[in-house]
Amino acid sequence: MKSQKLFTFLSFIIVLTMLLGACAAPAEKAPVAEESAAEESAAEEPAAAEEEAPAAEEEAPAEEADKEITLRYFMWDPSFEEKEQVMIDKFMAANPNITIDFETVGTPDYWTKLGALSAADDLPCVFNMSAGYVDQWIMDGLLYNIQDYVDEGINPDEYYTGVFDVARDKNTGDMHAFPFAFVETVMFYNKDAFDAAGVAYPEAGWTWDDFLAAAQATTVDNESDGVVDQYGFWFYGRYAHIESWIYQNNGNLLNENKTRFEADANALEALGFLDSLIHEYGVAPEPKEMEGVRQQDVFPLGMAAMWVDGAWNINGNRENIGDSFNWGIAPLPRGPQAETDKAYGWPDSVAVAANCAHPDEAWQFVEFMTGPERTIDLTFGGKVPIYKPVALSEEFLETDQQPANKDFLLEWADYTGPTSFTPGWGEWRGYADGAGLEGQLGDVFNGVTDLDSAMKNVTELANTVLVRYYP
Amino acid sequence: MKHGKITPYIFIFPMLVGLFVFRLGPVAVAIGASFTRWNVQAPPKFLGLANYVEAIGSETFWLVTKNTLFFTALFVPGVMILALLMAMMINQKLKGIAFFRGLYFMPYITAMVAVAMVWNWIFATRFGILNHILRNFLHISSPPAWLAEKTWALVALAIVAIWKAAGFQMMVFLAGLQGIPKSLYEAAEIDGASKLAQFLHITVPLLSPVTFFVFIITVIDAFKTFDVTFAMTGGGPNYASTTLAYFIYQNAFIYSRMGYAASLAFFLLIFVGITTLVSFKVKERWVSYDL
Repeated sequence: MKSQKLFTFLSFIIVLTMLLGACAAPAEKAPVAEESAAEESAAEEPAAAEEEAPAAEEEAPAEEADKEITLRYFMWDPSFEEKEQVMIDKFMAANPNITIDFETVGTPDYWTKLGALSAADDLPCVFNMSAGYVDQWIMDGLLYNIQDYVDEGINPDEYYTGVFDVARDKNTGDMHAFPFAFVETVMFYNKDAFDAAGVAYPEAGWTWDDFLAAAQATTVDNESDGVVDQYGFWFYGRYAHIESWIYQNNGNLLNENKTRFEADANALEALGFLDSLIHEYGVAPEPKEMEGVRQQDVFPLGMAAMWVDGAWNINGNRENIGDSFNWGIAPLPRGPQAETDKAYGWPDSVAVAANCAHPDEAWQFVEFMTGPERTIDLTFGGKVPIYKPVALSEEFLETDQQPANKDFLLEWADYTGPTSFTPGWGEWRGYADGAGLEGQLGDVFNGVTDLDSAMKNVTELANTVLVRYYP
Repeated sequence: MKHGKITPYIFIFPMLVGLFVFRLGPVAVAIGASFTRWNVQAPPKFLGLANYVEAIGSETFWLVTKNTLFFTALFVPGVMILALLMAMMINQKLKGIAFFRGLYFMPYITAMVAVAMVWNWIFATRFGILNHILRNFLHISSPPAWLAEKTWALVALAIVAIWKAAGFQMMVFLAGLQGIPKSLYEAAEIDGASKLAQFLHITVPLLSPVTFFVFIITVIDAFKTFDVTFAMTGGGPNYASTTLAYFIYQNAFIYSRMGYAASLAFFLLIFVGITTLVSFKVKERWVSYDL
């Protein structure tokens, strides 16, 4: 009898906890809850809904257009929250029937939170989308196909369309996110170090030989004690440090349709050249030597005269270098196999959730947030606004600050395009944890293993990841 | 005061809710998830035992397991010896002993991020104080890159983890030491036993139940180690300092492979379970409750 009561009690507890779990379902389901029957099916079958969306818009009665709606918008950069809010206020003033429920989540938690919201079927209607994740999100059917909107509303002459490919479905070519800015990898160089070594500043068309000569000239051991005080160059296995060299040698890490890791001969030549900078010419340190110094501080601290990374480091350099020395930005040197310049760059985008109840309004908001209203002060230093008239404005050049040649970013933009992003890219590239390709190259650059062995390992590892997505 | 039969259940009700919602519920979900491919944002797909098979066939998994065992081999004796030494040092009636007890306990309650910042600076290759000492006082021209070399990264993490964790075990040992009757030491002294003999024949045997407890919790701590890896090396270089708990985190939250991570969690459970079981089996051979 007692055990029966206990069983009843425990059953009650289990049922209660289940109920509590059910009650914990997100409170902010309003936009989805307002979905029409057609839109509900859209949530389950995004592709079908995407095709019907424009027609639904045409047939919407006039009063529907004035209906009060709320769109949730997630952004990943809390430091821009206030400025972003100003834009949002402008949008809401121009569209009084649309309320934007705006939230910023810092990048460490952004993807975790977005993933959890997606699992709870509670994605915000509009959210920032990274080039590194967009393929996966498209593959999972979580992003709205905005191609029709783009075709109808966007004048390609007014945008840097070279980076649009990153946001396209690799099968259909349709866009599923819209860029608001893009980044390029550039060569940062210490002008004072170049002057002291009597070396000419880097120019478009310079070659690996020119670069090596400059790196040798700017590698300095002041006390001749065997401890290099200033290296000519600094890099490690990080994506922004490596891929740009490969593309400038007309190489590729992946096969043509990006379904397998197949580093070609030109890519291997670029990696071999980088390794030689450390172990043959001694113009770059083994990465382990810089352990304890943040990678983005090596150049500002004057420990290296050149450094390749994303142009977004312009802001950090301004803060960290101050007036300590003069510096500039330049293209990467061309490798022996280069036929033309190829710059490694990618966009930051805004996406619409596949199950967004109000895709028309969401697109309206996306268009607003990525167009003329996103002025220079709303773009992180060093990133290029996707909307050309803004990017080409005098304001963008910031002539009162270093680097003096920021216009180079606009020239370089025409060559920006190739990337190695795939589903599972973070895993095989070792983007966030230093494993994968980054870890294997780290072993090479630290002298632990040779390039052939490392590339054999990473080919196996990367394809183990890619085969999950492309069996 | 008379209580109804339901009264005890009312008292344990909040705890049970917590247990079901925050412990058993997630465990049940993890069991289910381990048989799926699930990246969180998209619905899970059933894979059967594929995640378990993948783990068993994965070189990285075995490397990480080896790292975990190596870390455990360093951490467990390191913590236990250091904690016992510190407990014996502070088990004395000295002026200001409370201050030293607090001081030795402090690393345990210090935030890992703060600890990591300090130790990162100590271990830094070019500017770290440790290498500064090695170069300038011991004249070692190329001291190790402690956190960036495969040989040293896990050792360096173990040093930090031992330093940080020993305070808690010290307090447990201290409680055990204070439970040993003083009369035994007095009798031993009268019989002419040296301090070492007193330690070996009184302290060690009578402290064995506490030592067993400390051993078990330290082994579990070692298997679960995460924060020091997360804060100092991120598992690098190239998995050299990745332990199982961190590998689970990596797969779950960096690679978005919840299903695979869940299966790894059950391997961790098996390893901890086996170790604990073996420890209990051999307990009778060395744990004594009297002399």
